[in-house]
Amino acid sequence: MTTLFINEEEVTVSSGTSILEACRTHGADVPYFCYHPELSVAANCRMCLVEVEGWGKPAASCCTPVGEGMRVTTHSESLSKDREMIMEYLLINHPLDCPVCDQGGECKLQDYAVEHGPDHGRYKEIKRAVVDHNLGPFVSTCMTRCIHCTRCVRFADEIAGTGDMGVLNRSDHMRIEGVVEDALASELSGNLADICPVGALLDKPSHDVSRPWEVKRHKSTCTQCPQGCDIVIESRGDEVIRIKPDHDMGESWICDRGRYVHDSFRSDARILTPSIRTDSGMQVVTWDAAVEKTVNLLKDKRVGIVFSPDWSIEGLTSIRLLHDRIFKDAKVAFDLHRRDMRPFAFEEGFGMTPENIVAADEVVILGSDLRQRLPILMQGLRKRSFSDKPVTRIGAMNYRTNSELTHDALIRPREWGAVIARAMQQLKDLGKTAAGMDAWLLAVPERHEAGKLLADALLADSCALLVGEEIRSHADAAALIHGLDLIARASGHGEEGRDARNLIPEGMNASLLSAVFGDIRTSVSDLFDAAHDGELDALLLIGSDPLGDGLFSMQAKRAMGKVPLVQVGAVAGDVSEYADVMLPASAYSEVDGTFINMSGNVRNADEPLSTLGEGRPLWKVMMRLIQGFDVDVPAVDVREIRTLVQGYLPSLAVLWSDCVDDTWHMPVARQKDAIFLPTGIEPVMALDVISRYSMYREGAWVRASKSLTEAGHIRALDDVLLHPNTLQAAGLKPGACLVRTASGDFTFDVGVRDDVVEGVLFIAKRGIAGDLSCEVMASLGGGQ
Amino acid sequence: MSLQNEIHFTSERLQEIDVLVKKYPGKRSALLPVLHMAQKDFGYLSMAAQQLVADTLNLRLMVVREVVTFYTMFREKPCGTYLLEVCTNAGCMLNGANELLAHMTESLGIEVGETTADGMFTVTEVECAGACGGAPVVQINNEYHEKVDATYMDAFITRVSGGQS
Amino acid sequence: MISSDPKQVKAICFDRIHLENQTSLAVAKKNGAYKFLPTVLKDFDKERIVDEVKKSGLRGRGGAGFPTGLKWSFVPRNTGKPTYLLCNADEGEPGTFKDRDIMRFDPHLLIEGMLMSGFALGVKDAYIYIRGEFLHEANVLDAAIEEAYAANLLGENILGTDFSMNLTVHRGAGAYICGEETALIESLEGRPGRPRFKPPFPAVEGFYRCPTVVNNVETLATIPAILEFGGDWHAAIGVPNNTGMKIFSVSGHVNKPGNYEVPMGTSLKTLIEEYCGGLQHGTVPKVIIPGGSSTPWLLAEHYDTPLTYDAMMKAGSMLGSGAIIVMDETADVIALTRRLTHFYAHESCGQCTPCREGTGWLERVMTRVENGQGCEEDLTVLHDAATHMAGRTICALADGAAAPILSLLKHFPDEVRARLMEKAA
Repeated sequence: MTTLFINEEEVTVSSGTSILEACRTHGADVPYFCYHPELSVAANCRMCLVEVEGWGKPAASCCTPVGEGMRVTTHSESLSKDREMIMEYLLINHPLDCPVCDQGGECKLQDYAVEHGPDHGRYKEIKRAVVDHNLGPFVSTCMTRCIHCTRCVRFADEIAGTGDMGVLNRSDHMRIEGVVEDALASELSGNLADICPVGALLDKPSHDVSRPWEVKRHKSTCTQCPQGCDIVIESRGDEVIRIKPDHDMGESWICDRGRYVHDSFRSDARILTPSIRTDSGMQVVTWDAAVEKTVNLLKDKRVGIVFSPDWSIEGLTSIRLLHDRIFKDAKVAFDLHRRDMRPFAFEEGFGMTPENIVAADEVVILGSDLRQRLPILMQGLRKRSFSDKPVTRIGAMNYRTNSELTHDALIRPREWGAVIARAMQQLKDLGKTAAGMDAWLLAVPERHEAGKLLADALLADSCALLVGEEIRSHADAAALIHGLDLIARASGHGEEGRDARNLIPEGMNASLLSAVFGDIRTSVSDLFDAAHDGELDALLLIGSDPLGDGLFSMQAKRAMGKVPLVQVGAVAGDVSEYADVMLPASAYSEVDGTFINMSGNVRNADEPLSTLGEGRPLWKVMMRLIQGFDVDVPAVDVREIRTLVQGYLPSLAVLWSDCVDDTWHMPVARQKDAIFLPTGIEPVMALDVISRYSMYREGAWVRASKSLTEAGHIRALDDVLLHPNTLQAAGLKPGACLVRTASGDFTFDVGVRDDVVEGVLFIAKRGIAGDLSCEVMASLGGGQ
Repeated sequence: MSLQNEIHFTSERLQEIDVLVKKYPGKRSALLPVLHMAQKDFGYLSMAAQQLVADTLNLRLMVVREVVTFYTMFREKPCGTYLLEVCTNAGCMLNGANELLAHMTESLGIEVGETTADGMFTVTEVECAGACGGAPVVQINNEYHEKVDATYMDAFITRVSGGQS
Repeated sequence: MISSDPKQVKAICFDRIHLENQTSLAVAKKNGAYKFLPTVLKDFDKERIVDEVKKSGLRGRGGAGFPTGLKWSFVPRNTGKPTYLLCNADEGEPGTFKDRDIMRFDPHLLIEGMLMSGFALGVKDAYIYIRGEFLHEANVLDAAIEEAYAANLLGENILGTDFSMNLTVHRGAGAYICGEETALIESLEGRPGRPRFKPPFPAVEGFYRCPTVVNNVETLATIPAILEFGGDWHAAIGVPNNTGMKIFSVSGHVNKPGNYEVPMGTSLKTLIEEYCGGLQHGTVPKVIIPGGSSTPWLLAEHYDTPLTYDAMMKAGSMLGSGAIIVMDETADVIALTRRLTHFYAHESCGQCTPCREGTGWLERVMTRVENGQGCEEDLTVLHDAATHMAGRTICALADGAAAPILSLLKHFPDEVRARLMEKAA
């Protein structure tokens, strides 16, 4: 620790702290532009000058470490003159266009000009003009306003890892530019507008829309991926203008998916009124009429319920209430990616916090495009490379990452058993065992060398396994996860505090879902097949869009063509085409609700926006339906719903008590009796099928968003990808190809990429080539 | 992401680069020398040449762009067969460099920074060449010529133009 | 031959510079190059070398005049990281052209100096960062280094000792700022030459974040003589605290411009009158810039000032790199200032606000002033913009850019005001 004096006040900070940081934590106001707590120090703006007693000249406080007994002055006549001059230097070439600049009102330059700047300019020469560039659908530029603080360049290098921003030229010809083809290569590009202290980099979707002082800020939770980032929704009236990370909650960055999805909140795809299908199409009706129609369609019928995991806890529990009160025998499903419904030895959700994962000695990503799936966690993993901490990846595709992977093994999905067995064998040879290992090893005759990476990582003191969709969606997932559980436990990573097991869930609230629906859940594909085969009479879809998302669009389409469909939701999606009744429910931004993220952290969004149209929170819609069936309504307000939630999960009581503990979290379910041995899948066809999760395409909200759709087009790949050798071995060329599967033959545009492992058919676009997603194997037929 | 490259380093160059890279603790250190090589081989550093250098050293294009645009000796546009760089900084200025420069541009009929129509001569003004004892200094294709005057330059231009200028 | 009697020393760095074919290893050796190297490598203790250099009073010849031995002693030992020695041959300060002569006429002197310095510092890899324009000099050095490798003067187990050192010539590409040692390091790492803030200092975290010593060519070329004749010998040359010989690059309005190696303490007047053949016009100089264009100007009244770091400081300027630009009565100091503001505006690396914006601003105002389109307020603007650049930035380029402006305003306010009036006239 170092003790120094800031403006005569004695303060003690840890040694090595910069003077600026010491000032910031002790309430001494020092102006700055280029400093940013999450970025490296550049020390270029020179605004943060302070005086240190005995030093001949002022010191830049951001890059000067504190010294014992140092006497720092942050305000003096001389510093005022320096700051005035720095402002004058910055303003000589800065345009005087504040009235038309989006940054106006939240602009550091503007604020400091008032606070520290001169009252008039003395610059008589011609001002610099700088060419703007197209950085893609999310960031708009006005580079003439740039003050060259290089925050954006450091962000692109250090945080996004894409390094596509840079400083060209020198002297006052210096300019910031991006090397971009269509858009910045980053999934975090929206943060650029946040970190630019002036109006040079601006938020494109909200460009020229509103003024900072017009917006109201609502704390909320992003449900666009299981990470569940804390966000602030900025709205003018009921209109969402921007979504930003909630800095007060410690969030530094959010991804473009979570940030820009909001244009879908007011899109044409919203379900705003109850409606029913008539001969002339969907017709708007009253809630009463729509509920009556629903009751007619579903009463005493065999019903299948498919819902989205991203509703609030209150909404999800109310679905269970509807089930228990009205549809006791209904089939219920929610995971559009899971083939294997046997219980998992470790269920979906994280045994570790993101902070512990980032800090672990070893991290192994198993079959996941983590950059797309959990961009913020991947950003955290990127930081590991700064301290030479390894990241290993095993999977079927060399997904592009923004950080160097220490080890990267490409394997085919049918080889997972052999990979795990190889790791298990190594641990066993080292005397690290767990009960059941021998049986598991015996069931898998092959060994795959990639397993060495897995075992080596598990031998470390702390290790994080990030188990992704290639395993979770595997036809033999329960056995593979049991195998992973065995090796984690054998290496000591099954214990509290050293737990390495993290199964990436499909969406939010994973731990709650296993607890509330574990006893009644079934597979989506079984449910749709049942509807198609006449075993169900009607479908109730609650916020789920199985045509656009997940693996089972083919089954969903067949089923919906067969039986009536009631759709409850906030956004229509492709399923609406089949809906006989549509009931509007509020968006996640519009509810006072509780959410649980993948780490089991609980977030309460209690400052909702008003619901658009006639939509109501999901729990109210469910209660209205229960009422429609002439059954007593179990809850009439959100408090009563929460009481009922505790009936399913008593531990949640603490959540809504007055003394909420911030650190409380919901643990992931472990199922010791989920013992399954790999059966080995008969390799009846030459190719394994893997489909891609795209952050710009997956989710009904995302597909309803114009800006994300545009980004999706920019980043589109060919529908179906193969390794060039795979295609060559079949004697085919890229282009239209016939793909044979168990469900029939399809013709697709096939592209090649050597990122795909040989022997794998990679579906880049679910939805287009999506009907193939349900397959686990395929073979190539003829070509053009 | 690579731009279409229609240019390549010769295999001898690539070998030379291999040797060069090993002289430094990090590959990136070879960037300036390799850019000098590329400029020598291709005349100037087009985007294709910059991409080639980036690929050769496994660097991002932006890293190369930053360096190319920072250093004045790297040219992103072609120049004449003879690049005439006149120092006009203090020592040379005090010894008639401005007058010499004016004479050269006038006799060649171009402005500073331009190339003659026949592609023979480019005249530029440069900062202190570090040879002030021989002021004024002109670098002709990076070779120093000291105590240069109008007569000397006229003779040079006439000689390399084949006596026609 | 360098005399072992300090009073008789005529030259150190330039001792063999005019000898024919000195660039060839055979000739250089015959003339005494590498003669003392085996003794140093075999018999000298590393600490002793640092002590001798400290004792010699040698101060960095690149411009700042920081004691070389002290700089070396800042290098932490046993960090587990390699220590690098970088020779700063980026000679770019307007008026300076001394290192070029050492490199093109006596490259082996520099190599020998680097070998001895590298040995003292425990260096395995050393680099000469030479400005890109010095292509000829780089080629001369490359050829000399190749010969030295072949003669086992570089590479593994030099002269059969445990000492191994590699030496690489690295050309810059046109950036004055790369003469600043941290910008030089950035450039040598393949980046734009933008200076780093300090701390950490290069001695602790420099090239690839390893301990690094950056020394000027002339500094390194002085080391062999210091080790051969001893620190005390060197300390006896010149005047106390300003010891040794120093090369002065004299340019501008003198009859015989060029490099002159003289004992420290020689007066400006002696150098100009006796060595440089006096002024081109008149008998007293109008302005003398004593240490390169970044140093404050001296006037005729300072003509007798001794050429030492201390005396120059006392006279209100700096000895700098020893680049003396002389202007006689014919000089247009306003035009010269305008030209220098252009230089700094062109060479600013652009990172710090005051320098990036200030240098361009100064140039534009000075251009108007030079053309007789200035006004009284411009003088305040020039003064403010220059004053608040200096000392407020990461490196000293801004201080250098401010110096000519502040000197002009201080010494020639009437001349400037007269020029302002031209517009009206």
